[in-house]
Amino acid sequence: MDFEFDEDQRLLQQMVRETVTKSRSLPEEELWAQYRELGWLEAPPVELAIVLEELGYVADPTPFLATATWFAPLAGRLPEGSGTAVCDGTGRFVLDADRADEIALVTGDGVVVVKGSDVRADRVAVFDQTLHVAHVDAPGLVAGVPDLALMGLAITTVGSCRRILDMAVAHVKQRVQFDVPIGSFQAVKHKAADMYVAIERARALAYFSALTIAEDDPRRRRAAAMAKAAAGECQRVVFKHGLQLFGAMGFTWENELQIYLKRAKAGDLLLGTASEHRRALLA
Amino acid sequence: MRLTADPEVEEFRAEFSAFLDANLPSEQEAVPRSKSSADMPEWARRWQRTLFDAGWLLPGQPPEYGGRNATLAQQLAHLEELSRRRIYHSFNPQGLGIIAASLLTFGTEEQKRRWALPILRAEITAALGMSEPGAGSDLAGLRTRAVLAGDHFVVNGQKVWTSGAHDADVLLTFVRTDPEAPKHKGISVLLIPTDTEGVVRRPFGSITGPEDLDFNEVFFTDVRVPRENLVGPLNDGWRVANGSLGHERTMLWISFAERLEDLVRDAASDAEWYATLLMDLQALRLLGYRQLGGDQSPAQISVLKLLGSEAVQHASLHALEERGAEGLVHPAFTAPFNHMNHEPFISSWFERYVRSFAGTIAGGTSEIQRNIIAERILGLPR
Repeated sequence: MDFEFDEDQRLLQQMVRETVTKSRSLPEEELWAQYRELGWLEAPPVELAIVLEELGYVADPTPFLATATWFAPLAGRLPEGSGTAVCDGTGRFVLDADRADEIALVTGDGVVVVKGSDVRADRVAVFDQTLHVAHVDAPGLVAGVPDLALMGLAITTVGSCRRILDMAVAHVKQRVQFDVPIGSFQAVKHKAADMYVAIERARALAYFSALTIAEDDPRRRRAAAMAKAAAGECQRVVFKHGLQLFGAMGFTWENELQIYLKRAKAGDLLLGTASEHRRALLA
Repeated sequence: MRLTADPEVEEFRAEFSAFLDANLPSEQEAVPRSKSSADMPEWARRWQRTLFDAGWLLPGQPPEYGGRNATLAQQLAHLEELSRRRIYHSFNPQGLGIIAASLLTFGTEEQKRRWALPILRAEITAALGMSEPGAGSDLAGLRTRAVLAGDHFVVNGQKVWTSGAHDADVLLTFVRTDPEAPKHKGISVLLIPTDTEGVVRRPFGSITGPEDLDFNEVFFTDVRVPRENLVGPLNDGWRVANGSLGHERTMLWISFAERLEDLVRDAASDAEWYATLLMDLQALRLLGYRQLGGDQSPAQISVLKLLGSEAVQHASLHALEERGAEGLVHPAFTAPFNHMNHEPFISSWFERYVRSFAGTIAGGTSEIQRNIIAERILGLPR
């Protein structure tokens, strides 16, 4: 097997990085239009993972993740506008259901696609004010979470974790105490190294999941569970050490760290925590 | 990225697999057991010689050194196949993987002929003299002194943790040849035959028992070493050290993957730590494959070593704890019998957990690996 990006994938990664950095301050609608225009929603699984990792890195505010990895694999097409799916059998905490133009409902009779305006979706107030989740009221729901949705949430979380590590590293290099940068202390270095290894591990498993989906490999279900569990394990280390290394400065509203911390934690809590997916692997 | 295997690699793997089926020593042949990492019973020497002659010993080398000019991906397949069957290709692993490999890279033609080839053909065995009582993680602080006096060096000092030294024929020894130079710049490497006058070896038991004799202290008192036994240029030993260990470390992750696979097989559980073990194994393999085609910097190798060794320790601890008081029983048989590899078979769960510390201490502690990752990958100040 070959587990490296090919030339096109490397170029895509570079292009996505440049685009999301440049477009950071654009309004949500313009971002969304730009993603559509660039064809990112149509990207095959590995390329989609490359895009999502970078969107996680900037805590993308658009409904891209739900549209590309929740709605599309269940509906078998892209929505008019944005989309999401009610796929865990409960209708609770559905990503972007309050603002999706189309919603795929996984029911006992199969997948039914409805207009967003045709179902009741109540946005839930959550700790991360930029995150849209809603409770959807629909009958006959059953569980049918697509592998792509697990992979998508996993790699997005990895992207947010990478951002937290980058911010923490920049901080400990410049923050001077006892006349030296605190990043020269081993207690600090070892936390940063553990964050890095956790990210590398989760990132590898997320791309492996994308690859098994792309090739419809029989391991795809387990690979998706591994990816989601590893992303959850990763954010645990990265959240804890990232906030701790920033000290009081990370505890403020102004510091952007909070945005990525909240995204990373949401990535674990939505669609089953690490623990649930570990148990799924044992079943 | 692709999942499908490279036909060139799979052909190579199949050929090696068929070779192993036809040539592997039988259970009756494979006695007595090897007692240390430089103790090779006659059958083990024959086995290594068979691999050498067929070009399956170090496949990356040319045929005259026991190989077949294999690609890196093929070399990985070779190690995977050995590891899948839990076979050692040498019962003097450091002799093959570090000492002979270093001589092939840094040695003179004469040194290759006189020392590397006999090690590869298992005619002699070798041990590695690096660590000292005062030089462990800070290896460059080593103090064993070698003074050049005409056509020979005179060596005085002490090594420790010298695995297999009491059974080895020759020691690849790191010595200080310029005490005035900065510590990385005054080191040289000497081949010291263990029967030289003034060399005293004292094996000592490991935590697993007084009869487990692999560790050695080695004392050098006015040991005369011919000048032609200098490996690489004078005072350039640090480069040899990085090269020798680098060669070994590139594929070191496979040995951790092998331990993880053993645990997957031997410690099956329906508890969550077992799922973490499955994930650690999968992630280690993926990162190892990725490194094979791309980044082989020492820092990336540190990521693999840290991840692999800590994962083995984590899973071994859970396997032990899951057994509760039963975990105290020793000896206990915890793996299927394998005549080519007794260690896991005869190790209790307690012993297997304890042995996992060899992974987090030897070859650069986990703390040193974390420093390397923080400084060389993340750019934190030294």
